[in-house]
Amino acid sequence: MNAPILSVRNISKQFGGIRAVNNVSFDVRKGEILGLIGPNGSGKSTLFNCILGQLKPTEGHCEINGKSTDGVRPADLSLMGVGRTFQQLSVFPKMSVLDNVILAGQEHEGTMLSRLFGKSDAGLTDKAKQLIEFFRLTPYLDTEAGSLSYGQQKLVDAAMAFMAGPGIVLLDEPAGGVNLTMLAHLKDRLMTYNRDHGTTFVVIEHNMEFVMSLCTRIIVLAQGEIIAEGSPDEIRSNQMVIDAYLGG
Amino acid sequence: MAELIQILVSGLAAGSIYALAAVGFTLLWQASQTINFAQGEFVMLPAFFVLVGVHFLGLPLWPAIFFGLLLSLLILGVAFKRLIVEPMLPHGTLPLVIATIALGLLLKESVKEFYGATAQPFPAIFPQTVYNVMGASVSLQDICNLAVSMLAIGGLQLFLSRTRTGRCMQASAQNPAVAEILGVNVKRMVLYTFLINAALATIASVLISPIYLAKFSNGETLGLVAFIAAIVGGFNQIRGALVGGLLIGVIDNLSAVYISAEYRAAMPLLLLIAIILLRPQGLLGTKEGRSV
Repeated sequence: MNAPILSVRNISKQFGGIRAVNNVSFDVRKGEILGLIGPNGSGKSTLFNCILGQLKPTEGHCEINGKSTDGVRPADLSLMGVGRTFQQLSVFPKMSVLDNVILAGQEHEGTMLSRLFGKSDAGLTDKAKQLIEFFRLTPYLDTEAGSLSYGQQKLVDAAMAFMAGPGIVLLDEPAGGVNLTMLAHLKDRLMTYNRDHGTTFVVIEHNMEFVMSLCTRIIVLAQGEIIAEGSPDEIRSNQMVIDAYLGG
Repeated sequence: MAELIQILVSGLAAGSIYALAAVGFTLLWQASQTINFAQGEFVMLPAFFVLVGVHFLGLPLWPAIFFGLLLSLLILGVAFKRLIVEPMLPHGTLPLVIATIALGLLLKESVKEFYGATAQPFPAIFPQTVYNVMGASVSLQDICNLAVSMLAIGGLQLFLSRTRTGRCMQASAQNPAVAEILGVNVKRMVLYTFLINAALATIASVLISPIYLAKFSNGETLGLVAFIAAIVGGFNQIRGALVGGLLIGVIDNLSAVYISAEYRAAMPLLLLIAIILLRPQGLLGTKEGRSV
């Protein structure tokens, strides 16, 4: 079995008297698509933010490819090979789709001088166009991102997350607010990318159908703790999960 | 016809200088939600920096202009951001607006104290030649002022849309939290915006002062007209500020000749009222929502 690309080690997060995440540990291996599910208040968003360095865990730590993320700024996580999408749309609405995708990669290229005087696209136009084509957004290349539909903006978001060539991408509710057609398209693109590039995904999602059909492994959180872990089929048939989360 | 040409050219020349100041308004608003009511004084002050260079340091004109630019970048760019905007912004837009009004008064009164209340002659940077175009007297100075302003605004637009730093500045203005996560140094981009505003104010100052002379009170009218130009054109668009500035310049000159010289100052205000009633986002501006 290959070494974990992401290791979550005994993460706990306390807010005053509330323990939002309690001693959670798991590994994610290269090429996996891991789903992180749980009802509202289960601690999955808190855990996600701890992994991404936006919240400092009360206890525990995370490692990306064996390197601790302690003290790493969210901006520097992509240098460690981590891409992410946001629960809310994160496109720059008045910039073209192409500029949005180039921007997602350009700050990790070159020096301060080359940023001021070097090529305006940092040599990233071809790569950005390939990603835009991959997500079938080429007709909107020069369109202002803010004028696209919500689902299309989610695709731009995804393209931006892949721009820096990450080994692992954390997707925060990618299906939220996206219509069924666009959702199927998004799922297809994520699975194809995973298959072709071996990129690892960690997905937080409320949409059970989406998670069950996309992920290879699922972790279920409740009250800040892991209550179940396994393949989609195992999770589907787990009575505790059914009772607690699927209303069975 | 000759008179109309003359009015249009001088109106566009004056309007292009208003546009420089108006663009500064829109830049600061987009980058940091700063409405700088000292913007008029920001245009008034660099002329005095240049005069200090010429009269007190004995510098020739162009080195004095460079000296004025450096001082402007330092005082109207870096110091303004660090000492006023950054401490005040967390308290909301209104306290910052009040602080900029106070800053405007401070700058105005300081210049009056230091340099006197009388208007100071400012050396012309372009020849005073006047050409006859289809019977109209067109001054080379007006043409040059228009050209320099257009070049400055066009260059800025190109910088913002065609360079990596410009793209980062746009991103920082549109979604600073995400820009930060993508590795953009948002604080630095905001600083660049303040520096650009200071540079635009210096250009406007050097262009307008040979015509109106350098006077401590110049900022009163300039600031108001530039603010109106930014709103008329669209507060969230550089090209809007440009169009607003040119429009105000032309309307101001046309109304002085064809309506009433006494009421010329009222015309931009009437235009402002009409725009706010009919198209609050401005002629070229886009509607914008903000969560509070």
